[in-house]
Amino acid sequence: MSSVATSDDSTLGGVPEPQVAMPRGRRRTEILMLVFSVLLVAFAYVNVGLGFKGTVPPGVVEYIVGFMVLLAIGHVAVRWLAPYADPLLLPLAATLNGLGIVMIYRLQESGRNGNPGQVISTLTSSAATLQVLYSAVGFACFIGVLFFVRETRTLQRYTYIFGLVGIILLALPAVPGLPNTEVLGAKIQISVGGFSLQPEEFAKLALAISFAGYLVAKRDVLALAGRRVLGIDLPRARDLGPVLIVWAVSLLVLVFESDIGTSALFMGLFVATLYIATQRTSWLLIGFLLFVVGAFAASRLFAHVGERFTIWLHPFSGNEPFGNAYQLVQGLYGMASGGILGKGLGAGQPYLTPLVQSDFITTAFGEELGLTGLMAILLLYGLIVQRGLATSLAVKDPFAKILAGGLAFMLALQVFVIVGGVTRLIPLTGITTPFLAQGGSSLIGSWMMIGLLMRLSDTARRPPPQPIQDEGMTQVVNLS
Amino acid sequence: MNRAVRRISIAVLIMFVLLLANVNYLQAFEANSLSDKPGNSRAFAAQYQYQRGEITTSDGVVIAKSKAVGGIYKYQRVYPYAEEYAPVTGYDALYGASGIEKTENSVLAGNSSQLAVRNVIDMITNKPRKGATVQLTINSKAQNAAWGALKSLGKSGAVVALDPSTGKVLALASYPSFDPNQLAVLDGTQLNKNDQALLKDPNQPLLNRATSATYPPGSTFKIVTSSALFSQGQASPSTLVDAPTSLTLPQSSTKLINNNGEACGTLGNGKATIDTAFTESCNTAFANIGMQLGSAALKSQAEKYGFNDPNLTIPLPVVASRFPLEPALSFAAMSAIGQKDDTVTPLQEAMLSATIADSGKLMHPYMVQQVQAADLSIVDSASPTVLNVPVSTSVAGQVKTMMLHVVSQPDGTANAINNAIPGVQIAGKTGTAQNGVNNSGLNDAVFTCFASNGNRSMAVGVIIQGGGYGAAAAAPIAVSVLKAYLENG
Repeated sequence: MSSVATSDDSTLGGVPEPQVAMPRGRRRTEILMLVFSVLLVAFAYVNVGLGFKGTVPPGVVEYIVGFMVLLAIGHVAVRWLAPYADPLLLPLAATLNGLGIVMIYRLQESGRNGNPGQVISTLTSSAATLQVLYSAVGFACFIGVLFFVRETRTLQRYTYIFGLVGIILLALPAVPGLPNTEVLGAKIQISVGGFSLQPEEFAKLALAISFAGYLVAKRDVLALAGRRVLGIDLPRARDLGPVLIVWAVSLLVLVFESDIGTSALFMGLFVATLYIATQRTSWLLIGFLLFVVGAFAASRLFAHVGERFTIWLHPFSGNEPFGNAYQLVQGLYGMASGGILGKGLGAGQPYLTPLVQSDFITTAFGEELGLTGLMAILLLYGLIVQRGLATSLAVKDPFAKILAGGLAFMLALQVFVIVGGVTRLIPLTGITTPFLAQGGSSLIGSWMMIGLLMRLSDTARRPPPQPIQDEGMTQVVNLS
Repeated sequence: MNRAVRRISIAVLIMFVLLLANVNYLQAFEANSLSDKPGNSRAFAAQYQYQRGEITTSDGVVIAKSKAVGGIYKYQRVYPYAEEYAPVTGYDALYGASGIEKTENSVLAGNSSQLAVRNVIDMITNKPRKGATVQLTINSKAQNAAWGALKSLGKSGAVVALDPSTGKVLALASYPSFDPNQLAVLDGTQLNKNDQALLKDPNQPLLNRATSATYPPGSTFKIVTSSALFSQGQASPSTLVDAPTSLTLPQSSTKLINNNGEACGTLGNGKATIDTAFTESCNTAFANIGMQLGSAALKSQAEKYGFNDPNLTIPLPVVASRFPLEPALSFAAMSAIGQKDDTVTPLQEAMLSATIADSGKLMHPYMVQQVQAADLSIVDSASPTVLNVPVSTSVAGQVKTMMLHVVSQPDGTANAINNAIPGVQIAGKTGTAQNGVNNSGLNDAVFTCFASNGNRSMAVGVIIQGGGYGAAAAAPIAVSVLKAYLENG
């Protein structure tokens, strides 16, 4: 907190200082980057048509104009609501969102309307339109977050309400009697009026806010030294309480919803925020150990989880490539066929991978845009995470600091878990690919997260109120 | 708190570096091995996106080509001669390949490193990629004669013809055969149905009998036995040996007799020259020679001819013809006349004659003459190599004399084909191998021979399963192949 020096100290003497350079809003950078994003997405969209039939795809103008309008509205809203926010977050997220729509369009068109390839039966012919619609809702929620959360500290007031909402959302799919759908062995969806909803996408935001609020209040207690064993400060037993509660909840998610990915995400979120709040390495170790023990036990107790480990370790042995490991192996084949430069949009065979439009969408990018394109996409994620972490470093308010760090880390962890899963770096778990994958909940949740990050960065970069020198005797002291 | 955030940033950095390193590994380093995994339909489908190279015979007959079709797969493989060339070309199906289609896949598909530069140029100049043409050594006339003869006989068997001086495979036919077009269908369900039907067919049409099946060589193995004997320098074709009408093998009650229990030769004293014994194919005489030589000497000679070599590729993989060591004398006697556990491929039969025809030198048999890129430049061209020198020139000359007598002498076992080709002297050796449990099966007819018309020469190996006497069933087939090649080819 002391790292940000303010100009106020030097004005104590009452001598007027030369005007200090104001942090610029950098909204022009944002516009430039948004234009680049539109061009990139438009190029990709045209490329799909060229890859399919050598012609510009139908509806190119509508799609691109629609995308531009969304971005323009977003940009205007940022100018109005968060003028000092980070200029890169919106263009980065928009680029990923746009590329996701293009890929879903490409997958939806496969084998339809005389295009080459096979029809993906799990994808309707209006999937891309629906995804554009979800994007619009996502943008609306993004603007909504900026509009309703004018000050990050307002969120801090509802620490426990957010916590409760988060846990309820998380538990919803497991509640018997509710119309839930099972996706690949995991219960993560509920049906609301014909739309399936993944409450966890919103639960994670609520919990991130709740964790940050709780930890700001309790961090001194948690940081209090307990005993020191083997060079590690162990916390007092009673302070372990909240950690154990979160661990228990995340394990319950695992048990009742068979969703190891989500439980890893929450555990990771909590441990990271705890660490930022207390700076105690012991919490990291404890959290990590608890998760490993839980995951190991789960892999032994539940066939669904154990199977994921087998697939991860031996996807090519025996009949696995044609059985349980089929999806993973097809994804790997797809990426291998893409090689370094990729097949080109519309020219690969991503339709061979089952459900390629959701968890495995990164393999479709790997296949058609190659290693080059996939690395670029990973770097887009990396940049969002980096902007989030930079915000966390820059912001002075501890609540905002923990929240920004937690959100950024959670996004990084989510990308790591899902991309690592489909590329066989770690066992595959079914969590969504932010911004890219088909589906509304994840997209809307991700946009709300971008909204929060932009609000936080706006707080971090907002210049302090100008001392009103004309009043002579009055001195404004910035309290934060 | 910033210290913790910085540390978390480092953790995040590590996570992203791991992801990036992993996709690099997958897409840059492991990509090829993933493409080669069985069941990778993408890698296979990729081959159908551009035109695969043709396979032609040495005289320019196209025996496999790709025709443009609509759909996911842009090209379909077509085999104009279907069954005739199936043992040669094999098939190129969605989920697997065989024959030349498999062994020459990288050049046919155009992804061989030899073609890399041309592919890059094609990519830059935006020319569609096309695989290289593989020209085989097969002579279409000889192949046609071989297939026609096998088909009209209608018995399971195979014919291989070699150019003795180079090792070029001039004909390679197997019966019954299959229509590779059935396996080139692009509809997976239909393919599976056709494949299952072929696999379940009791006649085993997919088996390439020329290179992948072995049969008892019968009396044709006497070429090897004679070679071993003459190579020791003690005997010549005119040497007299014991050739009784019947011979009781040591430590056994088995009585070995000559064909139909006849006496060997006309001397009437139970002796005959080796030449006579060879010409009339007397079992007792060669069983005695076998016992005199011993199994080790026979095995050593057989291996020089190519037996017991599981690694021969032409480039079709060739199963090993077998000559196991049989320490017991009775077994040595049996194996010296090509019975007991000896087995040969029809190719091995042709290699025996080719060695004698080429004065004792065995050329490495090969089928691919040259590979021509789509821009008509020659990528690869075969040159003959010596596989081994099984016998000296003089021994080869001695065996050749005897093989000529088999055809030219009135009491020779293959005298029926004497003068079958006007002006051409055929040298050969018949074999009639007993097989089945307790020799209950029909005899396999075996014939190996060679002939030359001055410009060109050819060695042929024929095995007909259940064909009866080698002279009756197998020799006429060899004659028709020789005739087709020497007269018209």
